[in-house]
Amino acid sequence: MKSDIIIETVDLARYYELGGEIIKALDGVNLKVRRGEYLSIVGPSGAGKTTLFNLIGGLDRPTRGRVIIDEVDISQLDAYELAWLRCRKIGYIFQTFNLIPTLTALENVALPTIFAGVPRDEGKRKAEMILRSVGLGDRLNHKSSELSAGQQQRVAIARAMVNDPAIILADEPTGNLDFQTGKEIINILRELNKKRGVTVIAATHDLKMIGVSDRVVYMRDGRIERIEGRGRLFES
Amino acid sequence: MDEKDERKRITFSLVDAARLGYDNVKRRFNRASLNLMAIALGIAFFSSLYLMDAFLGAYTQVGGEVRVEGYQYGLMIVSLVVCAVSITNSILITVYERYKEIGTMKCLGALDQHVLKLFLVESFILAILGGSLGFFMGLIAATLFCAITMGFGHLSMLPLSVPLLLFGKSILISVTLSTIATIYPAYKAAKLDPVEALRYEV
Repeated sequence: MKSDIIIETVDLARYYELGGEIIKALDGVNLKVRRGEYLSIVGPSGAGKTTLFNLIGGLDRPTRGRVIIDEVDISQLDAYELAWLRCRKIGYIFQTFNLIPTLTALENVALPTIFAGVPRDEGKRKAEMILRSVGLGDRLNHKSSELSAGQQQRVAIARAMVNDPAIILADEPTGNLDFQTGKEIINILRELNKKRGVTVIAATHDLKMIGVSDRVVYMRDGRIERIEGRGRLFES
Repeated sequence: MDEKDERKRITFSLVDAARLGYDNVKRRFNRASLNLMAIALGIAFFSSLYLMDAFLGAYTQVGGEVRVEGYQYGLMIVSLVVCAVSITNSILITVYERYKEIGTMKCLGALDQHVLKLFLVESFILAILGGSLGFFMGLIAATLFCAITMGFGHLSMLPLSVPLLLFGKSILISVTLSTIATIYPAYKAAKLDPVEALRYEV
């Protein structure tokens, strides 16, 4: 039986040195993320949201503290296991979409299946299926330059989902989108969260995007200011 | 731990690398063609000089008195070094252009060695193309030169094995040169910190 808590951070801190000065990007964050919840992380830029994501995704090493994913302390993992984590367990969505410009939508989505060792045809089939499910069935062979911003982000969501991850980390997924398109993206994420039970953690500084969340974490200056549950959210 | 069981399933086979590398060369052809020309010109110089020497050698046997001078081989070596340096330079620029792309690939599960493999495979493809192109450029140049200076009749004196062997040598040299020139930029790309790469704005 798997634990209810999929991600736990314990006194997590990340300091940078910049011009002889210590920058505390993250300074003692304790957070428990429940399996299958939609968690929004809100805070001004510089609050430490991206740093937190980088540490959870194993892209960066903490100065202090631990990240535990499915009861495994990820600081114990080697490069191979971290790559596996990023490939199979975590799906990334970025503010700037980060599609590979030379590849088509279908090839972009199929890319993580190559690293996952999925046979080529199966990877393509799966990529196509997910692209259809996010409403891009007629854009399979378009390159990112031929897609609108909202479409690019939907390709990125499909790419994040293709290896059936347990966790989606979305760093400002609506930051480069207009309000309406942003709403659509958030709704897709919420739907994936409900239908497939994938845990979604979405960072945003846009309070209009947090209505779908189960909980909201407010961050400031590298620390958690407060956490609000769904009830509180709708009272205010 | 299922992590341990699944470990072996992070892969990036040579076939996958070749496929992706070929796509990259094809779709970034402007950038790739610079590399291609650098290799082709170096190899063209090498093969033309070598062939002329062979032609002239055959000519000397029937009484002619011209040979390719030693210093011209020196020039050829210099030109190959210049060619390698320009490939390194060009691929370094490519690495910077593809910073975000490399960072993204690492986020999606690519290991350092996968990035290294991709760059080396791309360089191998360019070396084969550039080496072949360069050989034919050299072949045409040398044939024209000899036809003009010695007349067409002498061309037939050269056995077919000479240009065939030279083709093999051209490919070997271009692959070696291109691989050596790619090692540093490819290593740089492979060692890229994904956090930094994703923050990077082109």
